[in-house]
Amino acid sequence: MPTAAETTIVQARNLQKSFKRDSFEVKALDDVSIDIAEGEFLALMGPSGSGKTTLLNMIAAIDRPTGGELLVMGENIFRLSDQQSAKWRNEKIGYIFQSFNLIPVLTAFENVELPLLLTKLNKQERRDHVLTALKLVGLEDRVHHLPKQLSGGQEQRVAIARAIVTDPQILLADEPTGDLDSHSAAEVLEIMTRLNQDAKKTVVMVTHDPHAAAYAHLTRHLEKGMLLPA
Amino acid sequence: MTLTQFVAKNAFRNRRRSALTMLSIGFSLLLLTLMMTVYRSFYLSKGSPESSLRLITRNRVSLVFSLPIYYRDKIKAVPGVVEVVPANWFGGLYLDQKPEHFFAQFGTDPQDFFKVYNTWKIPPDQLAAWQHDQAGAVASAALAARQGWKIGDRIVIKRNIYPVDLELTLRGLYNTDEPADSLYFNMKYVEEAVPRAKGAAGIFDIRVDSAAAVPRVASAIDAMFKNAPRQTKTESEKAFQLGFVNSLGNVKAFILGISLAVVFAILLVSANTMAMSIRERVREVAVLKTLGFTRQTILKLFVGEAVTVALMGGILGSLAAGALVSVIAHSPSMGFFFAGIRVNVPTLLVAWLVSALVGLASAFFPSYRASRMGIVEGLRHIG
Repeated sequence: MPTAAETTIVQARNLQKSFKRDSFEVKALDDVSIDIAEGEFLALMGPSGSGKTTLLNMIAAIDRPTGGELLVMGENIFRLSDQQSAKWRNEKIGYIFQSFNLIPVLTAFENVELPLLLTKLNKQERRDHVLTALKLVGLEDRVHHLPKQLSGGQEQRVAIARAIVTDPQILLADEPTGDLDSHSAAEVLEIMTRLNQDAKKTVVMVTHDPHAAAYAHLTRHLEKGMLLPA
Repeated sequence: MTLTQFVAKNAFRNRRRSALTMLSIGFSLLLLTLMMTVYRSFYLSKGSPESSLRLITRNRVSLVFSLPIYYRDKIKAVPGVVEVVPANWFGGLYLDQKPEHFFAQFGTDPQDFFKVYNTWKIPPDQLAAWQHDQAGAVASAALAARQGWKIGDRIVIKRNIYPVDLELTLRGLYNTDEPADSLYFNMKYVEEAVPRAKGAAGIFDIRVDSAAAVPRVASAIDAMFKNAPRQTKTESEKAFQLGFVNSLGNVKAFILGISLAVVFAILLVSANTMAMSIRERVREVAVLKTLGFTRQTILKLFVGEAVTVALMGGILGSLAAGALVSVIAHSPSMGFFFAGIRVNVPTLLVAWLVSALVGLASAFFPSYRASRMGIVEGLRHIG
């Protein structure tokens, strides 16, 4: 739990998520309460199906709970309309996927530029932002490469650049090193650490890998939808 | 990059599929443009300004039956009529039955023919030569060029309807913007060889003094012969030509039927391709939504892709149709029905609009479904 001096950026109270599979009710999240402080680097660990990604998706407003409350940056994001939550995600959240999810027909530059197409920035401003983001992840020399011309580690770095290009306050990463070799994984984790320490981004990372979790300040474990005590 | 460039890149991400879709839409639009052009030419076009001053009088029962030649003077006396000239379809064979050797041959009165067709240009000396040679003939410059004729050449037209071969000498060449690739000779040539042809005219070509006089003159002529042994039917040159087309059957329903079938077929092709393309990219839609793209933007992106591909196919097909129509219009075997036909700008615009609408209609439903899909569901999709 953050101290009083720290600002809470994510505040979840009694979050529940359940769905029906055949005749059984499955609880993906069971009464989860968690506070995440601004500037935190939190790792969420747990076995498959423990609810880690569900919690991450709720913080990103791409999934909705069946019960409980969630405030992100003071906003009850589940009260937002679809359009409002899309805009909110674009401005406030950077999301990094396990399998990179770059658009194959776009170059590294264009992939990073995608979220900026929804903003009011002009071409030059977009260009500046994109190049800054690509420089931050060390890919300024791969600007015109297509995803298929990049290694897995480079693809994930492009995905990180895409996640940070709008300068969001929170970075959410779902198994960001799951598809990478150890060297590339280390590079990606170093970048995320830098973004947390230097750019003061709040990072929430879902991982299976204790080595990856070691980069975080704090690790919380989920099991069968329940958050285990810290 | 802009969203428009993003649409364009996505539209051609699978080049082979996009090319095949474009070709299938293009081919369908080629057919549709052809059908629209033929329809416009047959049913909507009013013909050239010159032809709007001309009427044709024929036997009310059928073109097979002739009219007495003395009708000519009676018709000429109708107020508003400037000139009248008879014309008889000879229907002979030139060289052989090959399509490239087919053209219309008419017996007429050389003294007055170019008074009715007063906008057709023929040098005065050539006209005089024709008028003074009963075995003389004139042809359009285009026809002469196609057949390799020059003035003074002997042209033999073999018998078909009349029991006589025509041995003509080409005396003149006329030029006109109208589709009139025909040969004209003195009708007395046939009348002297075939006595039963004397005193009869297949049709009368009439020039009136103003377009406004056309309906009144037509009615007056037909009223004049209402109680005569051979009643007349007088109609505009355009309506007369349309009569030939209608003799083939319900051409209008045929053209409309084919056009509807073509549009329906391309709709199915395009819808299938778009559904396939969108189904493959469900995960990508979820990623875009995670980045902040709204449902509406995603809908616009996918529909934009489909419209781009369909429109490009449509442009390709309609321009190909333009080229094909030009070939048909100049083809000796097709020229009789399609002479002067061309794809005009409004037809092209309608074709492009149809292709854009096909793209829109085919993509809307699968795009709408994709845009409504939940992000989590989309991210789990293995495509």
